[in-house]
Amino acid sequence: MRRLLLLLLCAAGLALGAGHASATSPMIDWDPALYFEPGSTPLNSPPGSQLRIVGLVSGFGPPLDFLDPTDPTKEYTLYCHSLISAGTTSIGPPATTFYTTNYVGGAIEIYEDLTPDASFDVNPPNPGVPADFTDGTLILSGVFMSFYTETNNFTQFQIGHSEGNILWTGGAYFPLMSPEGSNEPCPGLFTGALTWRSSVVQTGYLFRHDGKIDFNCPVSSRPSTWGRVKTLYR
Amino acid sequence: MRAWFFVLLTACSALALAPAARGQALLFDYVGFDFESPNPSPGTFGEPGSGYQGVGNVPNLFAPLVFNTVLNEYTYYFSGLSPIGQTSVGPFVIIDYSAPGTLDLYEDSKSTGTPGTYGTNPPNGTAPPSFIDGTLILSGRLTNFRFVLNTSNGSGSFESEFEAIGGSQLSNIPLNQRTGWTFAGATGNATGIPLGYAHQIDGQTFLQEPSPARSSSWGRVKNLYR
Repeated sequence: MRRLLLLLLCAAGLALGAGHASATSPMIDWDPALYFEPGSTPLNSPPGSQLRIVGLVSGFGPPLDFLDPTDPTKEYTLYCHSLISAGTTSIGPPATTFYTTNYVGGAIEIYEDLTPDASFDVNPPNPGVPADFTDGTLILSGVFMSFYTETNNFTQFQIGHSEGNILWTGGAYFPLMSPEGSNEPCPGLFTGALTWRSSVVQTGYLFRHDGKIDFNCPVSSRPSTWGRVKTLYR
Repeated sequence: MRAWFFVLLTACSALALAPAARGQALLFDYVGFDFESPNPSPGTFGEPGSGYQGVGNVPNLFAPLVFNTVLNEYTYYFSGLSPIGQTSVGPFVIIDYSAPGTLDLYEDSKSTGTPGTYGTNPPNGTAPPSFIDGTLILSGRLTNFRFVLNTSNGSGSFESEFEAIGGSQLSNIPLNQRTGWTFAGATGNATGIPLGYAHQIDGQTFLQEPSPARSSSWGRVKNLYR
């Protein structure tokens, strides 16, 4: 009986937690972001090397949907840095090998610049990269709680993906990262596809990334009491 | 002699048109969600007998497409894909799909049209219908569609060859630039995924850029063979 009750309680918890999707548009979308990590290849990242990412924001969704990245007088950029490689591991036979690189540390910054000037100059770091992506007003900053890339040796168009979890910590719009009635910022989910196909990746960069950051708030749930939950099953 | 000269001229033009590495131009960027229908095994992705589909928005379009994102909403719908093979490598699964699938782009007036609405458990009353109303501006054929998924973290990506074959703006794309490719990231970790959808999708489609050619004169060409 106790076991059955426990199962029912778990089911009830799942049911209560399964709220409607909070936001279907990415909070920040970019087109593109480019990764650079001198000394690394798409299939091998030496331990200790630093991954950096620069990108041009192309879209904003809630709660930043009041920003307009198409405004020609402004430029929104992202810069990720201090992502330190823990080395690449591989799995699979020679014909279908997957390569995974986990990174430790890492920070992310989003800027609003009133003097648009960012361009993906070749062979970074260079005088323009990342400098042109880090001028202006810091509107959001955070740290990565996790980050990885996954590549392979067999996809026709040389594609993989990367993903990371962000803890927002600062910036002019940091207060918007906490949902109404909460003092805790929602996590950010950094995600998207990678390609290392040379025809779409500028010289000196590792990957082109088509991705976004989601305002990844936990789905809503209603507070309740054990008594109320029990009555649901009586 | 004339025949030989003609052959040489043809070879010469072919060489002039063949670049060292053909570039690719971004045609459109898309963001949405995917789902399976039919879905014989709801807890499994890419199972035999399932149909792979996706709907969403196209926030960024590029020339030679003509667009007005202020007045219109642009949406996409891909479909016609069924798994034909699956390979497991550790936690990774490689799923190959039948060809051809389709990836279609629609233009719908923001003032008089219907906004794309995902709803839940697609297909439903609004998805795909609210994503395929308006004008079909571009229809693409997908071949060699392959999805790579890491089942341990719920994320992956897909890729496919793309060929523009229809739609009201097909003629905007020169005949020799209608082939290209598409790729997208797919994650099951976004909390905003509507109930019944499998992954959040963020992708891009590229077309071949025109091959560079040098202008010349008959005299110069003749000189090459004297």
